[in-house]
Amino acid sequence: MHRAVAEIASPPSMLSMYHPLPGAFDELLGAGERLRATVEAMLADGSSEEFARTQALAEAALLNQGVTFSVYSDSRGVEKIFPVCLLPRIISAVEWSRLERGLQQRVLALEAFVTDVYADQRILETGAIPREVVLGSAQYLPALRGIRPPAGVRIHVSGIDLIRDGAGVFRVLEDNLRTPSGVSYVLENRLLSKRLLARAFAAARVRPVNQYPARLAAALRSVSPVSPEETTLVVLTPGPYNSAYFEHSFLARQMGVELVEAADLFVDDDRLFVHTIRGPKRVHVVYRRTDDAFLDPEVFRPDSMLGVRGLLRAWARGNVALANAPGNGVADDKGVYPFVPEMIRFYLGEEPLLEQVPTYRCARAEDRAYVLEHLAELVVKVVDEAGGYGMLMGPTSTAEERAEFRRRILAEPRRYIAQPRVELSTCPTWVPQGQCIAPRRVDFRPYVLNSATGPWVLPGGLTRVALREGSYVVNSSQGGGSKDTWVLKGEG
Amino acid sequence: MISRVADHCFWMGRYLERVESTSRVLRVTSSLVLDAILPPEQVWTSALAVSGEEKPFAERHGAAAVGDGFRVTEFLTWDPDVPSSLARSLQAARENARSIREVVSLEAWEAINELHVWLNDGSGRREWAVRPDAFYRQVRTGTQLILGAVEHTMLHDNAFDFIMLGVFLERVGQTARILDVHHHALMQLPPDLVREETLWLSLLRACAGFEPFMKRKAGRVTPGEVATFLILEQRFPRSLVFCLQEADQRLASIRSPGDEAFPPLRCQARLAALATFLASRRVPDEDLHALLTRVVDETAAICGELHEELFQAPQRAWSNGRVERPRAEA
Repeated sequence: MHRAVAEIASPPSMLSMYHPLPGAFDELLGAGERLRATVEAMLADGSSEEFARTQALAEAALLNQGVTFSVYSDSRGVEKIFPVCLLPRIISAVEWSRLERGLQQRVLALEAFVTDVYADQRILETGAIPREVVLGSAQYLPALRGIRPPAGVRIHVSGIDLIRDGAGVFRVLEDNLRTPSGVSYVLENRLLSKRLLARAFAAARVRPVNQYPARLAAALRSVSPVSPEETTLVVLTPGPYNSAYFEHSFLARQMGVELVEAADLFVDDDRLFVHTIRGPKRVHVVYRRTDDAFLDPEVFRPDSMLGVRGLLRAWARGNVALANAPGNGVADDKGVYPFVPEMIRFYLGEEPLLEQVPTYRCARAEDRAYVLEHLAELVVKVVDEAGGYGMLMGPTSTAEERAEFRRRILAEPRRYIAQPRVELSTCPTWVPQGQCIAPRRVDFRPYVLNSATGPWVLPGGLTRVALREGSYVVNSSQGGGSKDTWVLKGEG
Repeated sequence: MISRVADHCFWMGRYLERVESTSRVLRVTSSLVLDAILPPEQVWTSALAVSGEEKPFAERHGAAAVGDGFRVTEFLTWDPDVPSSLARSLQAARENARSIREVVSLEAWEAINELHVWLNDGSGRREWAVRPDAFYRQVRTGTQLILGAVEHTMLHDNAFDFIMLGVFLERVGQTARILDVHHHALMQLPPDLVREETLWLSLLRACAGFEPFMKRKAGRVTPGEVATFLILEQRFPRSLVFCLQEADQRLASIRSPGDEAFPPLRCQARLAALATFLASRRVPDEDLHALLTRVVDETAAICGELHEELFQAPQRAWSNGRVERPRAEA
């Protein structure tokens, strides 16, 4: 009796109007009982006006704190906030432990692969991966062969992009083993959740993420050529006009280390120093957020003023650790991606725990023929482009675009791969225009730290969401936003 | 401490002080002009002269516009092409702070950023158009909040020393110029006006010195007393002597006098010499314009030395091939 009265008295829940997309897995409705109850409780006692206010508070907080990324289109460098939707993406403890094991396995195999490629190249001898796929990659740097980095670690920080298909299966979309970004948003989004959704957050029992900077500092110090206590660790940034500058300064601040630019550094006698007001000071570990090409003009771009002359010699001599190591791009090349399951079998003697997306390599005649015949159904990607650029989205493409890609694929087949378009899973997302909640597509980037003692996965990660209706593109440069990701603690 | 970071700290301090000083001068001038005995042209010319923008203003708006308070305040507040405009100075302070986000405390950064957002999203501009007095007050309190957060939430290490060094050296220049410009203008007046107290009081207000002066001098407002106070008062935090001594202490904390591994700095010696020289002057009897010009020029020279010795010199000396480095740490 009482219950019925309450139902009549309160406004209809925002979720009662929520209709998932056909064909896509919905992170809320496809989830277990406990998880659904959490979100329903969060939304049940709030009207959409209240939620809109909370959402506005979150955006104002980000703007006031200068949690922004720079947009290059303007010469003065306009700063924008990375839009955030407060409705979290939730991952159960059981699901997470499966993911965690799969991610550790994958990073161990990739680490073994890069090490092998720059040493004996055993995997190429067996034919498990075609020789030309690896040695022909623009990301393979022959000059680095024979160099063993300090403590033998190369993939100190990785971000593995996962998507969830129509059946709810997590699949690896791509690996980011060079300078993966976004972890600062994970930590900032979490602060917003705790501040603005305190009750729901407490009820959900979520695993913390704020240990990341300390873990990162420890992992970086663990590969230092000197003892961790004597180690000077710095973060290297291209500078305040880089789009990810906020994150560079954020990590330096959170780790309590100095943020440097290339002009602050110099190499003498194969050792790295930073200019201080008291003169040069030795540096042992560099968490660099600059691309390989801008590390050392001696090796990469003789004409470039950017970078630190002699840095790679210092690294090769074992006098400074670079995180991540140069040359890692050979392992996250999209042309190499189809072979990661083979790497796992070859180096670890295990079956892969994480699924991938089926991939056609245009370098193979058979695959190429299939791709050219099915361009309208496939997503075609350039192997060495990132950020969602240089792609053909077959299902939404025009005939001219397809003709153009056909021409490009035939000209340089090695540069292209194709995949079926995966129906990315959806998550209830706040839509400011309609003042309502609607399904929007998401992906997921967990972060893995690797050190001398093995890989560790941050229990959380960056959920990116395509805010535009019907969009599959989650990149911040193209209308994407983010969500906090709540990894739940186990039962009892 | 990284040389580039020291440089950014110093300039962040300088620009913040400039914002605060400019907001105070414009607020005081806007108030003075309402009931001053002087023609508005003269009042606004002084405000332009303090910022060194007399000529650029005349070139932009014509010399006749100098009596137009709206034009002058808009020029000194918003003009993106005026290097010393309030908006440009705050922009520069924030750019410097943003370049050293890992050094500035979160609370100090938020205070800078909130003032920046307010000034740039239209709300500051609306306030300025409707209630200029409230606008300048808000800029001033916003800057004070930033410097308060810097002092009370940051480590008092070398980064803090460089920020405060920038604040005090900028303040030396500001106080010296405000005093020089006004003193010069007021002494040109007919004798019966020279002693007009409201003018000298507004000079004190432009340096936040009204109440401290009254307390110290028990209400004896004479041109000589005002000048002596702004130059020599040991306990007034905006007097020249006070600022120079504070700056000297910051440098001593950056390089302690007994530090063998850190060669003595020319800028330090020069700063100490200027403080000593000034403290020995008998102000009312001096040629004030000559004295203040010397302070302004010498302070600029000290900043140049700082730049060469601490912010830039290492880059030049060490970046070209191998050189002997007596100061290298392990």
